[in-house]
Amino acid sequence: MPTTTLTAPQGVQQPDYDLKKDVTKNRLLGLWRLMYGYRWIYIWATLALGIAALAKSGTLLLLRYFVDNILLQPNTIFLHALPNTILPTDQPVLAGFFSETLPITTPPLQVFVLIALGFVFLAGAEGWFTFLSGRAAARTSEGIAYRLRNYLFDHIQRLSFSYHDKNQTGDLLQRSTSDVDAVRQFFAEQGVGVGRIVLLFLINFAAIAAIHWQLALFSSLVVPLVVGVSLWFFQRVSQRYEAVQNQEAILSSRLQENLTGVRVVKAFARQAYETKRFEKENWHYYELGRDELVMHSFYWPITDAITGVQLIGGYLIAALMVLDGALTVGDYMAYAGMLVYVIFPMRNLGRIIVQMSTGLVSYDRVAEVIREDREPLEENSAPPVADLKGEVVFDHVSFEYDPNLPVLKNVSFTVKAGQVIALMGATGSGKTTITNLLNRFYEYKQGSIRLDGIELNQYPRDFLRRNIGVVQQEPFLFSRSIRENITYSVGRDVTEAEVEAAAKAAAIHQVILSFPEGYNTLVGERGVTLSGGQKQRVTLARTLLKNPRILILDDATSSVDTETEAAIRSALKQLMPGRTTFIIAHRIQTVMNADLIIVFDQGTIAQMGTHDQLLRDPDGIYARIYDMQSRIDEELEKELSLE
Amino acid sequence: MSDEHRFEEEEFTTQFNGKTLLRLLGQLRPHWKWVAGFLVSIMVVSSLESYFTFLSKRIVDEGIIGQNREALISILTQYGVLMVIQIFFVFAFIYLTGVLGYRVQYDMRKTMFARLQSLSFSYYDRTPVGWIMSRMTSDPGRIADLMTWGLLDVTWALMNITTALFFMFMINWQLAIVVMLTLPILLAVAVWFKQRILVEYRKTRKLNSQITGTMNENITGVRVVKALRRENANLIEFNQLTGDMYRSSYRAAWLSALFLPMVQIISAFAVGAVVLGGGLQVPTGAMTIGGIQAFVSYITFMMWPVQDLARVYASMQQAIASAERVFSLMDSQPEIVDRTDAYDPGTLRGDIVFEHVDFYYDPKKPVLKDFNLHIKQGETIALVGATGGGKSTIVNLVCRFYEPRSGRILIGGQDYTTMPLHAIHSRIGMVLQTPHLFSGTIRDNIRYGRLDATDQEVEDAAKLAGADEFITKFDKGYEEEVGEGGVLLSVGQKQLLSLARAVLADPEIFIMDEATSSVDTLTEALIQQGMEQIMSGRTSFVIAHRLSTIKRADRIVVIANGQIEEMGSHRELLRQRGHYYNLYTQQFRQELEREYDEILNLVPVKTESDRIAV
Repeated sequence: MPTTTLTAPQGVQQPDYDLKKDVTKNRLLGLWRLMYGYRWIYIWATLALGIAALAKSGTLLLLRYFVDNILLQPNTIFLHALPNTILPTDQPVLAGFFSETLPITTPPLQVFVLIALGFVFLAGAEGWFTFLSGRAAARTSEGIAYRLRNYLFDHIQRLSFSYHDKNQTGDLLQRSTSDVDAVRQFFAEQGVGVGRIVLLFLINFAAIAAIHWQLALFSSLVVPLVVGVSLWFFQRVSQRYEAVQNQEAILSSRLQENLTGVRVVKAFARQAYETKRFEKENWHYYELGRDELVMHSFYWPITDAITGVQLIGGYLIAALMVLDGALTVGDYMAYAGMLVYVIFPMRNLGRIIVQMSTGLVSYDRVAEVIREDREPLEENSAPPVADLKGEVVFDHVSFEYDPNLPVLKNVSFTVKAGQVIALMGATGSGKTTITNLLNRFYEYKQGSIRLDGIELNQYPRDFLRRNIGVVQQEPFLFSRSIRENITYSVGRDVTEAEVEAAAKAAAIHQVILSFPEGYNTLVGERGVTLSGGQKQRVTLARTLLKNPRILILDDATSSVDTETEAAIRSALKQLMPGRTTFIIAHRIQTVMNADLIIVFDQGTIAQMGTHDQLLRDPDGIYARIYDMQSRIDEELEKELSLE
Repeated sequence: MSDEHRFEEEEFTTQFNGKTLLRLLGQLRPHWKWVAGFLVSIMVVSSLESYFTFLSKRIVDEGIIGQNREALISILTQYGVLMVIQIFFVFAFIYLTGVLGYRVQYDMRKTMFARLQSLSFSYYDRTPVGWIMSRMTSDPGRIADLMTWGLLDVTWALMNITTALFFMFMINWQLAIVVMLTLPILLAVAVWFKQRILVEYRKTRKLNSQITGTMNENITGVRVVKALRRENANLIEFNQLTGDMYRSSYRAAWLSALFLPMVQIISAFAVGAVVLGGGLQVPTGAMTIGGIQAFVSYITFMMWPVQDLARVYASMQQAIASAERVFSLMDSQPEIVDRTDAYDPGTLRGDIVFEHVDFYYDPKKPVLKDFNLHIKQGETIALVGATGGGKSTIVNLVCRFYEPRSGRILIGGQDYTTMPLHAIHSRIGMVLQTPHLFSGTIRDNIRYGRLDATDQEVEDAAKLAGADEFITKFDKGYEEEVGEGGVLLSVGQKQLLSLARAVLADPEIFIMDEATSSVDTLTEALIQQGMEQIMSGRTSFVIAHRLSTIKRADRIVVIANGQIEEMGSHRELLRQRGHYYNLYTQQFRQELEREYDEILNLVPVKTESDRIAV
């Protein structure tokens, strides 16, 4: 389902193809379907390999013709049988003139030239078609990888919150990078690789059979053995290889641990101990590598021996057949050349087949992600109102993330448009859930939520998210410049003044200016490291610039010191009129001026009202928190008066 | 060279650095027997390969055309015997080269690791961990490849070309000269291609890591992306990257696909020349039919050594760049070393005195300026002040992770630069703000403090530090694995373990950098107890964040801008109503505010923030 029209590079087929409808449990079928738009190109890649293999055999057949029909033509004289003194050896064409006893004809020079050109042409054809095949395979594999990468990227960012709750970032990342690459390699290398080996075998086998079919059968006697040994070996060696890889990972993490813990190592003067520990893993890595190598050092000579027996046996039998007149010299020479291609490539078949299985597993892992349903963003076509007022009603809403672990229990409240609502409560009491439901990040199933009088799930998600701004508790910034972070969500050109106004309101403008590159300062690894409070303020500026109708501040100033928070609060006050604002906070000062304060306790509303109303219940949670605040001042006084 | 450029990856100098190459080969010296072994093996294998082609010629000429059955059998027997010999040498070269490759990697890692352990802190400040990691992980493989398989391939290729030419000259010298003339062309084309291909692949690798980075960021930040409806814009940006990737890797792929055919076609002209020239000479006997066959084989086969030479040549630059970086690590010198006349006083007990100490990490930004402080034996000092004020620096100086740029530090009256480093480090106990644990069991981690401690001593230390209680709650108790870097434990638990580790070390000076992140009240109390245990009777420095710790110190030192702003006991300082007073009242509020949650949290609910966290 293409949501955005992308400019694909030239040569890419069907860039917007929806991969979802094609995923299947049958891996080979799935891979075949992945090739949508490339099937003919890939079939061509294989065919071209066949043509190249034909050209290779053609070279040998031409050699055979050359030897049998030209060089060994019965009436071509072998001049070296004559005394050398008679003739200038470099002018064999003149031979006929000097001989009187035999009817000698030497083929004209043109024939030699033609044959020579034939060799060049066939080699050229072989090279050219090999190239064409490689290019077609590259186009297929890169095209498929391109399509997969884009699809997964988009797909993952459109999967629901619940999906992301359940799945680890690292795992998703691996599926969308290394697994995609394994699938790419399947097409780039293994698919054509198997094709090449099989075609080489078939074509050369057929060519030998055309010369002498029993000989062809005899020559492929060891093929099943070689394939079997190869499969057996590469399965085992891939296990060893994996062991080496795992050990390398262990080595890396030992190292990483040592480097990040360098303070501890030095503080306890444990350098020698650490060296010994690293040494152990390092040596083990060496041992595992050696084990893998030992397998290789047996495999190749052993298959050399098997193929060698076949080779010598083939030479012997074919040569004897020539001596017995069953074959010509040219036959023998062509055969000797083809024999190599019948048996040698088989030694690599096992490797390719074992690698293929990685590709198949990777396909499964990719398909698993693709199979998930995206969150429909634009469903429920028309936004019911052009301009959202911001009246919110929760009517007996219950919600749970996990079955039997209710987060909200029967919650009801009403917020008038433009009001400021404060949500208080312990971690896990359901405050953040309220705001997640408003954005339809999760779907409520019990009760009713109404926005401007219309049931919330009648609104397209897209509309809600464009109109509701959330400043989340733990700020997330992207590794780009501060300006790009602030303008991250506005899909239009923004003036410098607008950006600065937002930054000023979030009390971060001065901080940004203090960086050498100001608004162009990069955030993150390659740039400055911002403190928690600074990050919060940048995300606040980002949300303010979005200019939402409903603003949600989820503990947005928790890492900001009290003075800055006061500055932000007064700036917000100017920005807030007309917007419905939800504030989730811990500090009394932050919430006391709200139009409505709701105190949550384990998913239910414990108290609701204005600051003054809530204080009227001395046993209420709110009053206790408030008391505590005053107690702080009292205790401090006490402490100081001790002096 | 500025640091930024020093740490740029994938930048390659194009000039050929012979010195580095020589030094690289020098690394092989201890294993010269292995090297000699594989070089001889590959030379035998390579010569035999050429000789087999020559034998094939003789089969045709002497056996088949010569109609000589005995000759045929005898040549094939020779063929068979030589093949058995060859098989042995194939085994030898794979084994020797491959194992040596791993051995060279092992050696390099060992040397680098040992060097890393001896380097001073300043090296770690300058050098990103990622940079060191690449030197230790991927570079040795690349270098070892060049030194073993690369050397093998070059030897094989040169030997192969030489022996093939030798036999060609034996068969027909005029044609051999023709073949020899095409060789430089082949090589030039091959090298040109390989270099281009390598450049393209480097580009794709770079793009690939960008793609991974972008993908990673988008998955980590997916909740923000969704909340801000940034999906479309992100996809468009990502498509730029994948589009570039497609173009670049497609180009790289078809260039490599073109490489062998190109070489093949060039050699096809040589084959044509042989067929023409050789064919014309057959009737005169200057060339035999088997000779033509041999020439065709030699020429066709010639593309493999040529491609190997080009490949090794092209990848050599990269490996040499790797080697330069690896050598730069091996050559780094620790800044703080024992003096030749270093004297171990046997104890660190005694007063610690900072005398006119100046210190900076970067000469442009002084951290401590003419800093003076006298700490009495057994005193507990709380260091208080804003981040970046110099608290950690003071502690680092006490540990002699750095030395004063000017001025001196005396321990028990002796300038500590006259002591061996080990004498200081082995008598200092340290608990870091973010406690660092090593993968392994809890017991292993505590024992890190004193390697020869008995199990009983380990457990006693844990009890003293207040860690025993949570440890014994684990199914496997002390044998519980802590996970990589201790991920399986909470911050509070990690701190208790690092306290136990320090208790076991029984240090003479104790240093603690308190954690800022909150831990639950119970663990907090345990940590306090543990700290008290270890601090009694020892000179201690605490970079303090908690009021209870600060109040308990013998002396509070308020550090601001590299100098002592205020100093004294809690009461004295409060009375001054200065910097400390402000810090204290602010801290006081915050700590009490934190207790809100405990009121609200009548029944702890399984954290919702786990899933909501953005």
